[in-house]
Amino acid sequence: MKKITFLSLLLFAFVLQLRAQNITLKGDELFGDLKARHIGPALMSGRINDIEMHPTNPRVMYIGAAGGGVWKSVDGGATFSPIFDKYVQSIGVVKLDPKKPDEVIWVGTGETWTRNSVSIGNGLYKSTDGGNNWVEIPGFEQSERIASIAINPNNTDEIYVGVLGALWSDNETRGVYKTTDGGKTWNKILYINPSTGAGDVIMDPKNPNVLYASMWEFRRTGWSFNSGGVNSGLYKSVDAGKTWNKIHNGFPAGKLGRIAIALAPSDSNILYSVLETEDKTKNGLWKSVDAGANWEHLNSDFGLVVRPFYFSRITIDPRNPDVILKAGLSGSISRDGGKTFKDLGNMHDDIHDISFHNNESDMMYCATDGGLYRSWNGGSTLEIVENLPLSQFYQISLDDATPYNIYGGLQDNGSWWGPNSAPGGVKPREWNRVGYGDGFRVLKHPTKNIVYSEMQGADNVWRYDVDKNKTKNIQPMEETGKPKLRFNWNAPMAISAHQPDRFFMGSQFLHKSEDMGDSWTIISPDLTTNDTTKQNQSSSGGLSMDNSGAENHTTIFTIAESPLDQNVIWVGTDDGIVQVTTDGGKTWDNVTPNLTGIPANTWVYHIEASVHGKGTAYAVFDGHTRGDFKAYALKTTDFGKTWSNIISEDIEKNAFVRNIQEDYENEDLLFLGTELGLYITIDGGKNWSKFTNNMPSVAVHFIDLHKGTNDLVMGTHGRGIIILDDISPLRQLNQEVLAKDVHFFDSEPFTMFEQSGFSGNFGGETQFVGQNRSNQARITYYLQKRHTFGKMTMEIQDMDGNKITTLSPSKSKGINVVNWNFTSKAPKMAEAKTLSYAGFSPLRVPAGIYKVLLTKGNDTYEQTIEVTYDESSLATLEERKEQERTARELFNMVEDLAYLVHEVTENEKSALMVIDEQPKGKKVAQQFYDALENLRKDLVITTGDNYVATAEPELRERMGELYANVVGSNDQVSGAQKQNYKLIAEEFEKAKQRYQEIMDKEGRKFLKYLENNEIEKPIILPKEEYLKT
Amino acid sequence: MKKIQLLALAFLFMGATSVSNAQTADEILGNFFESTGGISKWQAVKGIKFEGNINIQGMEIPIEMIQTSEGKSMVKANFQGQNFFQNVFDGETLWGTNQMTMQAERSDTEATENYKKEMNDFPDPFLGYKEKGYTVELVGKETIEGTETFKIKLVKEPIMVDGKEEQDISFYYFDAENFVPIVVEREIKGGPAAGMVGQTKLSDYQEVGGLYFPHSITEGAKDQPGGQSISITHIELNPELDSAMFAFPENASSGEKKE
Repeated sequence: MKKITFLSLLLFAFVLQLRAQNITLKGDELFGDLKARHIGPALMSGRINDIEMHPTNPRVMYIGAAGGGVWKSVDGGATFSPIFDKYVQSIGVVKLDPKKPDEVIWVGTGETWTRNSVSIGNGLYKSTDGGNNWVEIPGFEQSERIASIAINPNNTDEIYVGVLGALWSDNETRGVYKTTDGGKTWNKILYINPSTGAGDVIMDPKNPNVLYASMWEFRRTGWSFNSGGVNSGLYKSVDAGKTWNKIHNGFPAGKLGRIAIALAPSDSNILYSVLETEDKTKNGLWKSVDAGANWEHLNSDFGLVVRPFYFSRITIDPRNPDVILKAGLSGSISRDGGKTFKDLGNMHDDIHDISFHNNESDMMYCATDGGLYRSWNGGSTLEIVENLPLSQFYQISLDDATPYNIYGGLQDNGSWWGPNSAPGGVKPREWNRVGYGDGFRVLKHPTKNIVYSEMQGADNVWRYDVDKNKTKNIQPMEETGKPKLRFNWNAPMAISAHQPDRFFMGSQFLHKSEDMGDSWTIISPDLTTNDTTKQNQSSSGGLSMDNSGAENHTTIFTIAESPLDQNVIWVGTDDGIVQVTTDGGKTWDNVTPNLTGIPANTWVYHIEASVHGKGTAYAVFDGHTRGDFKAYALKTTDFGKTWSNIISEDIEKNAFVRNIQEDYENEDLLFLGTELGLYITIDGGKNWSKFTNNMPSVAVHFIDLHKGTNDLVMGTHGRGIIILDDISPLRQLNQEVLAKDVHFFDSEPFTMFEQSGFSGNFGGETQFVGQNRSNQARITYYLQKRHTFGKMTMEIQDMDGNKITTLSPSKSKGINVVNWNFTSKAPKMAEAKTLSYAGFSPLRVPAGIYKVLLTKGNDTYEQTIEVTYDESSLATLEERKEQERTARELFNMVEDLAYLVHEVTENEKSALMVIDEQPKGKKVAQQFYDALENLRKDLVITTGDNYVATAEPELRERMGELYANVVGSNDQVSGAQKQNYKLIAEEFEKAKQRYQEIMDKEGRKFLKYLENNEIEKPIILPKEEYLKT
Repeated sequence: MKKIQLLALAFLFMGATSVSNAQTADEILGNFFESTGGISKWQAVKGIKFEGNINIQGMEIPIEMIQTSEGKSMVKANFQGQNFFQNVFDGETLWGTNQMTMQAERSDTEATENYKKEMNDFPDPFLGYKEKGYTVELVGKETIEGTETFKIKLVKEPIMVDGKEEQDISFYYFDAENFVPIVVEREIKGGPAAGMVGQTKLSDYQEVGGLYFPHSITEGAKDQPGGQSISITHIELNPELDSAMFAFPENASSGEKKE
């Protein structure tokens, strides 16, 4: 250990030096043991981009989620675990090395089904150990979306990667790339231009020199989408990518859109392709039987032509070239080589990828907008995988119930609310639906049991009366003399903190209702740029018209009423305008010219009106639909006259910002929701730290801070609801704290909640169940250094210094969390043949103040915490005290009985020894033993087992059961319990008397025998000592 | 009986935790052995007996764990006068106590065969890892528990999982400052948590007979609530052991087994 001592000395000197300077701990070093929890839900799951089956082991499969990372199943798709949480969560493709499928995994990031709400990727990744560790492969940082990876099965160092590229801008990283050295170096072997990317890149597995690549010209803006152009095309190479030729023989001339291509694994000459063309009659499925030399048009049914940008995927049965699956709104299957199709069975709409099982064509997996489905009968019946919490929230809000509920809307999955905690965890059945279509903003009325929700473009805005189960449509509608209303796809709504029935909505105008949406008043002029060139959605889509409303633009996107003044209202628009009124909407001040460092027309994604000053607000800006992924966040304290930048260099590249949440107490504590995860600052934005403890790099679309619990609740777009419980320790962090070796954070009093309902968990084997908030006392402290050497212990004591219990302290550098469930110790039970539940039932402490003692080496640190009773308790204070008293008396009685049994047993041991070894004393000893054993059999169970061979309960078991009953009760001690107590106490008295009588009679003789023969007396420990054993 | 099952789980985890284990991986391991007593001292250890407690709020369950260089092992807990055995291994038969009957029962053959492969991991899997045919790799530096560590990948003999052979991989995080492992991670291969990562946190290193052992071991599934903490109160090196205590008790119930 010499080395370590020396090292520690050096470090000590270094630490001394450091102390003179500011300590800026970041990320993992600061947050220590503070961990996020995930509550899903998984019942509607979320969009999945790609499925990858293990080539030989049918137990293993992977999925790449649109916004939720990479997941691995080792049980044939029954359950999944995430394996890519440290990296960007938007996934294009997952590919296993054909030779080393257990070790080598390739992941191309960036979703490839390019709807309006897609996230971004940032390159190509490789794992060589089955997904435990990943490295980023240089060269693809700007790729944004990788659509395909093809690996030569004979030489797995030879790999082709199809880069689809940027959705909202030109991008020269597009095209087909090749490596021949396992990814060390790459050559771009097919490139068209900065607006045309590679979709499917496939290889003939029987001849790896033969490749096919589909190229797609496409572009999205905030207000339009275009699929198709003269540069789209289908290419083939027969020389391992050296040269490429278009294979369009039979295709119509003119522009082409997105193209899918698939090769029949059982016959390399058979290819299927899906085309988007200028001639509607030629759209849909094409087939070649001569390896692409000639093409024949087969089918343009709806299922084959629907939304090519979203569904261009064909899968062919590995064993039968005539069985074809096509992704689509419902998904289609052909069993006659593509001549006719029927829909797949019922499942969530919008199927993006389909994979056959390795060995059995009846078994298949479908990736949808609502998770992964399995079929066992050729696609007719489908069942959902229930433990993929990939839900994609656009927005969330909270209420003040206990436990509080979370409300939110999801991509293609409606609107829901559910509790943050529930008995046994947050299960699928805990979630309640409150809207159809795509869900966005969902708000609870502040005082009434009413929930507002909406669907895309405010086509419906619902006011749902929860108690009466009645719904009313309340969206603002067109009026005489007013222009047509323009609502965003994700239309903003807000409730007032000052007038509970007041409700706001934003089109291009701000609408206000004073009667929960029954009637509306427009309280603003058009607050947007009203740029008519961005309002032609009816011609959006390119070759296939796609006017879903998703591209509606020049609309209000965020509304923020000041919590301090109902006349101060902020509005932000999708075309970059920030407006504020200080007179309740009579006049508006366009403060956009005052913004600093924000490119014109950058989407105002969220405005947060501060509790720290009427004129204080935060605004975040999102330029991603202009190809600008920079992080932008500004703060004003003077109603928008001046703004300051609060983004630092700490925020990683491309982490564009969608939301900000301020702390209600510490103005310098801020939470930033970015496309690549959560960032936290404790100094008003000078330094930011990425929070990564059980927090994936997922797009955080919305954050709210719950006032009652200080829980930070995040609506993520791909991993559901993620909660950081009680952020109050972060409020207390400052230089003084960071310089200490150990610092306890102050806490509010802890309530000993008395809920004791039932929780069944049938289905929990394969269902995702959300983690609950701990109801225990949460002891938090900061350690300047991780504790590794020497003893570190933690103890709870009463204020007189009596030990209540021992806890296992957490020892991370940074913030640590230890939970205490308000109990002291369980009673020592009498030894018996079976186990008594009482031995696992500790006493609960009374309300009051307790000491937490942390001992670290020779130093002791102390903190006090307060514990209170549950106000909703069934028991009055007097009854509670009686219950505590009775529990304590029974606890003592249980231990008294244990001691009595100890005395009996030790005497018996001595008697048995004499019986065995001393013929002279055998008679006396036998009489003594028999008397004791008769008593012992009445005191404890001496036969049977812990299950159905259990013996009749004896005094220990009955006493223990009563003790466990009383100690576990949240109510007054019942009449029955009191009667039972009396009976058991009397029986115990009698038993003690019996023991005394035995000792006076048989015992006296036996002891005398021992004395006369100089034999050692039975070793009976003093009671205190016995109880410690 | 839920709580008892939890305990059983904790014991199972412990079976997998030998008290173990910069630059290059070999340099880091060299530093580890040097700073915890020296290779020759480690090699001289023939058996270790750990005594300690599992702390489950309100209950401190006393436990005893024994491991020997011959590959014998035992975990024993005592509650309410009943001895409860888990992961008892005499080199051939792996057995433990059934909680319902309190009788000894053999583990399944696959578990036993996998356990046999760990016989050569005493007192530390990294000790002579090359001779054992193991491979180690320095994956890189990583911050865990707020602390900079060297992440070392250890690949041992393949194990069988439900009839299929799989690699046995674990990751050790060695504190970059003092070269002792503070966290060990290993994929959970079977049971309801299959696919998740089992995580062991090691701390409270203290010297016993010239060697340094962690005296606090926390086991759980990574990023999941729960987990069990074991606090070691006493370690005896090279204890005197009766080899009969590891043998499967053919006729006696384990609960009444004599020590």
